Amino acid sequence: MAVYKRNYKPYSGELTANWTRFLILPRYSLAKIFDSKLLVGFLVVCLIPFLVSATLIYLSGNPAVRTLLGMQGANFIGINNTFFYYLLRFQSSLAFLITAWIGPGLVSPDLTNNALPLYLCRPFSRTEYVLGKISVLFFLLSLITWIPDIFLFLLQAELEGNGWLIANLPIARAIVLGSLLWITVISLLALALSAWVKWRIAASGLMFAIFFVAAGFGEAFNAVLRTYWGHTINLVYVMNLIWADLFGVPMNISINRRMMDDPRTMTLPLGFAWLVLIGVCGVCLLLLNRRLQAKEVIR
Amino acid sequence: MAHATDRLIVFENVSKFYGDVLGVNRINLTIGPGVTSLVGPNGSGKTTLMNLMTGLIWPTKGYCRVLGLTAHDPERFFRVVGYCTQFDSFAKGLTGREFIYDSLRLYGLNAQEATVRTNESLERVNMMDAADRKVAAYSKGMRQRVRLAQSISHHPKVLVLDEPLNGLDPMARAESMALFSALGKEGLHVVISSHILHEVDRISDQVILLNSGYVVAEGQIHGVRDEVKEHPMQIMVRCSNPGLLAAKLFAQDHIVEAKIHDDRKGLLARTRDADRFYSLLHQIVLEGELEIDAVAPADDDVNSVYRYLIGSEGATV
Repeated sequence: MAVYKRNYKPYSGELTANWTRFLILPRYSLAKIFDSKLLVGFLVVCLIPFLVSATLIYLSGNPAVRTLLGMQGANFIGINNTFFYYLLRFQSSLAFLITAWIGPGLVSPDLTNNALPLYLCRPFSRTEYVLGKISVLFFLLSLITWIPDIFLFLLQAELEGNGWLIANLPIARAIVLGSLLWITVISLLALALSAWVKWRIAASGLMFAIFFVAAGFGEAFNAVLRTYWGHTINLVYVMNLIWADLFGVPMNISINRRMMDDPRTMTLPLGFAWLVLIGVCGVCLLLLNRRLQAKEVIR
Repeated sequence: MAHATDRLIVFENVSKFYGDVLGVNRINLTIGPGVTSLVGPNGSGKTTLMNLMTGLIWPTKGYCRVLGLTAHDPERFFRVVGYCTQFDSFAKGLTGREFIYDSLRLYGLNAQEATVRTNESLERVNMMDAADRKVAAYSKGMRQRVRLAQSISHHPKVLVLDEPLNGLDPMARAESMALFSALGKEGLHVVISSHILHEVDRISDQVILLNSGYVVAEGQIHGVRDEVKEHPMQIMVRCSNPGLLAAKLFAQDHIVEAKIHDDRKGLLARTRDADRFYSLLHQIVLEGELEIDAVAPADDDVNSVYRYLIGSEGATV
């Protein structure tokens, strides 16, 4: 080991911009994800709604092709806010599955291996660490939600012409905002669970429990107390409420219940729904802040 | 204008508590260039001190500056500090080369510079051959060396190494110690922690002994060894005539202090030579001048710590 005889020169060259350094973290996570054939296969499956929707939009905009295919109904399918609303709802379910699959493995290995001190004894903060990790999910989930949806939106605008694009810009806004909101909530939740639950399967299970078991409890609460506040712990419901508002479509409420004048047909106030989501994100950040500490041992 | 302390690592009245748990307490230290060893048993506060030094945690009280910098200025601070942690701190699935390369990119080096320095540091620790294997497949010694490589890869001025010799085979140990020593001679502040003093004393310019969060001795290795050797041992004696015993004890040069208990049925003596103390006590009893009810070392814990730290058989004291 004669190398120490070299001249010792601290690095004095130019440095990369601070804000770009968090992008170092996702590189290997993404490489590992794309190494998994199963996961790549599932990502491809996630693009099926996009392909089906693209086909529908194409058919909708081409009566001649429809005639050729023997689809001669007057109203084929309306490509409007409702179409994109239901498409996003479906894609968000797939996004949830991907997050429950990948998310729990993002932070816990670093904590198990005590890797945090190594990241943080560099000009690299905990915020940047979280940004680096969450960007993995943002990238993947964007690929199967708002990016293909915006492409579909542009395809429809191209086929429709006549100012459709300008007239329907709120749909594009709803696609991007609604997707990013959902991605933020489920990604933060996945990271928080990954930071606190070492066992990956347990973290995934807990994620399902938070969304579906809590929703069940909420419904039971509503049924017993004949109220609608149980929806507060039903994150899917809360998210749907916000999406419905963003896309300008009514919430889907069962006709039977409405006829019975059931209080459960009443929706949560929209502002309250936003507060619930902000609260969930806040709790996740607090959990991450508490768990992601630089110190490796106490004394 | 540069201050003298801008070339030192300075702890000024530093205390760190984790809630109610004491990490380190009232630490006053100045660490200059060269190799400095932090020695102490598990839980003595070595890692806390190192975490403070590397800006990973903040003192509850006092301040800690490294070459005049604190982690409040992360860009400059982390550029001068290199940290080799104690545990297997590896992100999953990386090769040794990727691990070092990534760490350099986090420092803000561009891809080309990072590649050059990755190779250089791997060469320094003799890990070029295994550089492209997954860290998970490395032996404990190889993991230790690749951790060391990442800590020196950005050419820090302060190198903090937590238990760097753990798990190394004799050859790798000798090579690592030669590297630390050389880096110290080049003017780096190399701070090494260890459980055992003799493990690091050959390369240390300064030694700091820690126990239960306190610095119990510091200085050059010979001074610390003398201090440890001469550390007075406390012995409690319950007897019929503590006044007479105290008078006889004070005639001995190895007795530092003798304090008679409030109930006047015993005393607490501090001696630098326990063997001579026990011989004297034996003689007094044989002469029948007093009756002994009980004799017990009062600070066995501290002594056991010292014995543990000095520890090795055949080590020169």
